[in-house]
Amino acid sequence: TYTPTLASPTLGGRTTASTFVLEQPRCVFGEEHSDAVIWLVVAVPEGRWGTARPPGGASPWGPPSSPVPIPAAVPKFNNSVGPGTPERTFQNFPATAPAYLTLNTTLLGYPCPKPPGDITVLRVGAETSCAGDKSRPTCNGPLPGPGPYRVKFLALRDTEPVGETAWSEPITLQTAWPLGSISTTGSGRSAGMIALTSILSILFAMLLASLVALLFFGGSDTHIGSSTFSKPEPVAVRRYNTHHVYDQPAARL
Amino acid sequence: MAKSDGGIHILQGLLVFGNVVIGMCGIALTAECIFFVSDPSGLYPLLEATENDDIYAAAWIGIFVGFALFALSVLGIIGVIKSNRTLLLVYIILMLITYAFEMASCITAATHRDFLTPNLFMKQMLEMYMKSETDNNNDKWMTEGVTKTWDKLMLRNQCCGVRGPSDWQEYTSAFRATHSDSDFPWPHNCCVMDARGSPINLDGCKLGVPGYYNSNGCYDAISGPMNTHAWGVAWFGFAILCWTFCVLLGTMFYWSKIEY
Repeated sequence: TYTPTLASPTLGGRTTASTFVLEQPRCVFGEEHSDAVIWLVVAVPEGRWGTARPPGGASPWGPPSSPVPIPAAVPKFNNSVGPGTPERTFQNFPATAPAYLTLNTTLLGYPCPKPPGDITVLRVGAETSCAGDKSRPTCNGPLPGPGPYRVKFLALRDTEPVGETAWSEPITLQTAWPLGSISTTGSGRSAGMIALTSILSILFAMLLASLVALLFFGGSDTHIGSSTFSKPEPVAVRRYNTHHVYDQPAARL
Repeated sequence: MAKSDGGIHILQGLLVFGNVVIGMCGIALTAECIFFVSDPSGLYPLLEATENDDIYAAAWIGIFVGFALFALSVLGIIGVIKSNRTLLLVYIILMLITYAFEMASCITAATHRDFLTPNLFMKQMLEMYMKSETDNNNDKWMTEGVTKTWDKLMLRNQCCGVRGPSDWQEYTSAFRATHSDSDFPWPHNCCVMDARGSPINLDGCKLGVPGYYNSNGCYDAISGPMNTHAWGVAWFGFAILCWTFCVLLGTMFYWSKIEY
């Protein structure tokens, strides 16, 4: 018998935190079900502890909820409990309703054969407007937790089960890691940065050392003649008067 | 004497040429840093929000260092041609100060580029994109900057998140607090848009059908301009400093050979 499966992995939104995408059950229910309504049953596989759903829908940033035991649904599932009854109301799922029925359609909704290339999927959890509205017990609302969940398709003719598929494998949804767990410590220093810093530091140190050497040792005036050069200066010639001793008696007179 | 005169003239010529190159590189550095500071890719709000925008500080320093290099190179040319000891000593000391500033700019740009990892941007995006309750004015300003920048980034580059749309699924976020996972598995800006700016198929986008949503991450669009910015400032500055090192050594040697 047919087992409901998740859609192809090429879909990016195949499982999110509160929705998942199933392949439509094309060519599964035959013509004998043309007058039946085909429902999707979403159930929890076995009893476990979960959290109570806060009103209005689950939110990962909402107040902490209290744990409640979840009744097992799959092992003793009763196909005759109709959709919309308190045991099958989406808004009570999973605390007091171990399963719910949604996404009802007739066989016309799943035409056979499937046109090749078409994407034929069902998005479970897509309706947010009716998630808190108890007057819509078959709402296709966002799932309250990461699961796991098991689904099957059930054909009902006036609340009488006339056909069903097998239970799917457990479907687990995404859980989000807390934001604070992202580590932003750097990957360390890159090689380029280390090379740049060290080379520039060495060059700067050499320049400073040269400057110090220049000022303390290179500024002295003990140049060896031919290794220096002089600025071109106008040549000054001094006239020496070598006969000054003969002028002095003339001044005394 | 003619031979050493010829040697000195060659040294003079080399120093003048070296200073001309420094002057031109200074202008180029100023122009390059003005280009980076003008933030053509619009990513400054992301850096501002990380409170680690030192690669911009490095570019600002680069603008002023470029001008200083140009002015000092003119001074150097005059000093070499006139063989004036005072002028050249002033030139050497001011050049060393400029060298120190440019060194700081290069090292800052290179070091801070290493901080800008994908995880840093992802954490910032998850914390601030579409955050609804802000603590104070500064927080509000940074949150709005980050949100606007990411919206622009995702639309312009047709990308989503830092590594991909799965960023929004794998981690909790401020976005998730106000936008339910069922209606917004990822922001609507990740959807492929038509000419009027609305998604061509919102259901297809929410399902994650290839072709109706952007499945690639934006990290390349962020790291590309930032790498250009940081490496442009750091390595061009490094090249200028290596050349300046040689010119300064030559100038010091020339200075020591001038007679009083």
